[in-house]
Amino acid sequence: MRSITCRILSVATAAGVTALTAAIATRGYAQTTGTVPAVQPAGIEQLKAQYRRPDTIPFPKSNPYTLEKAALGKKLYFDTRLSAANLLSCASCHSPAYGWGDGQAKGVGHNMKQLGRRSPTIVNAAFGEIFMWDGRAGSLEEQALGPIRADVEMNMPIEQLMEKLKAIPEYAPLFKAVFPKEGMTPETIAKSIATYERTVVSGRAPFDAWIEGDESAISESAKRGFALYNGKGGCMNCHSGWNFTDDSFHDIGLSDADIGRGKQLPNVEKMHHAFKTPNLREIGRRGPYMHDGSVATLEAVMEHYINGGIDRPSRSALMKPLDLSKQELADLVALLKTFDSDIDPTTVPVLPR
Amino acid sequence: MKLMTVAVLAAFAGGSVAAFAADHTISQKGRVFSETELTVKKGENIVFVNDDNIAHNIMSTTAGNEFNLGSQAPGASSSVALSKAGEVAVVCAIHPRMKMTVTVSD
Repeated sequence: MRSITCRILSVATAAGVTALTAAIATRGYAQTTGTVPAVQPAGIEQLKAQYRRPDTIPFPKSNPYTLEKAALGKKLYFDTRLSAANLLSCASCHSPAYGWGDGQAKGVGHNMKQLGRRSPTIVNAAFGEIFMWDGRAGSLEEQALGPIRADVEMNMPIEQLMEKLKAIPEYAPLFKAVFPKEGMTPETIAKSIATYERTVVSGRAPFDAWIEGDESAISESAKRGFALYNGKGGCMNCHSGWNFTDDSFHDIGLSDADIGRGKQLPNVEKMHHAFKTPNLREIGRRGPYMHDGSVATLEAVMEHYINGGIDRPSRSALMKPLDLSKQELADLVALLKTFDSDIDPTTVPVLPR
Repeated sequence: MKLMTVAVLAAFAGGSVAAFAADHTISQKGRVFSETELTVKKGENIVFVNDDNIAHNIMSTTAGNEFNLGSQAPGASSSVALSKAGEVAVVCAIHPRMKMTVTVSD
């Protein structure tokens, strides 16, 4: 993987992308002096180090970053003409206005038909191991064309998409500049969109400032929440690391009939009703929650984990009823809210005609 | 299905597992396989030791060498022998960051 330096990590604008350089930055960990109840002071520094945000965005060797490619990808990402009805773009369901989701319980596709699952955020997709709620895409490049082609989503067969984009004169020179050999192909469309998506990284949040040593950045309640998150709450068993995900699949005992990853791996019992752990960056902006949008608030999410969900053979061994008080629930929610950044507005690109 | 035996052991002795005739032993501590690449001969036992603190589920969907060791609790070990020569992609179904390639020779 190739990385580019990212100090701002909110690079949705051209100006932001310009701020990136090709160097890989290194730096030492900041020293902190505070302690968190229920976590040994000696261990807190080690624990906090696990949550330090990276300075670089990884890009695959097979699709390296360029400013022009990301800019082309942004145009494609926001272009509703990639849908059969000229009404839906990638940004319709993965909108910067809603933490790069859509704020709906479930996505809405072609002809305003409701889809089966909540639109996942694309924030920090650059750091993902596997994509879609059920992991059926192994890369962003592989994923990018899926919703465009899907008849229930953007309903655009690839052949039709190519014809349509070729009929927009200003697109061809952009592709030629970025991909001199290939020009406009389904693969270069996917590579461009994937490159843009990788630049969508969550901004610095109060949590990051605290991790780096600013004890005043988050409340005492949130600090207690951090101890619970890594202690008896067990949140870190799945929502691990700076992006708060293990990129893994777990049945957390929700009641809908969707078997999730089980459709890909029907012979693996633990994959039935299992969905990929979502990251928790910008989580305050991303409700309603869960793969089916069935839980309205972060408080209700906590209640679900306290109850432990439906006990069935596929349920993750990590899911079990928790003994958490109302105050502890509130502390965990206070922590989650420190994961929201003071995010900059995203500019919408002028599209080729 | 080349699933051999799944056994729960009360304890480990220095990471080795006595219950299987282990030709190769793979650890899973910290949610990583101790080897990312392994070369074995057909029929040799590969023992996956769950010396991690959470459950894993080792499997492969590589044609001809498909196997699924099922949910493996901490402290458990499972063994598999692969019968077809070639490269086999092995993953934890739960944790896809855990992956290794086993090269099976005649």
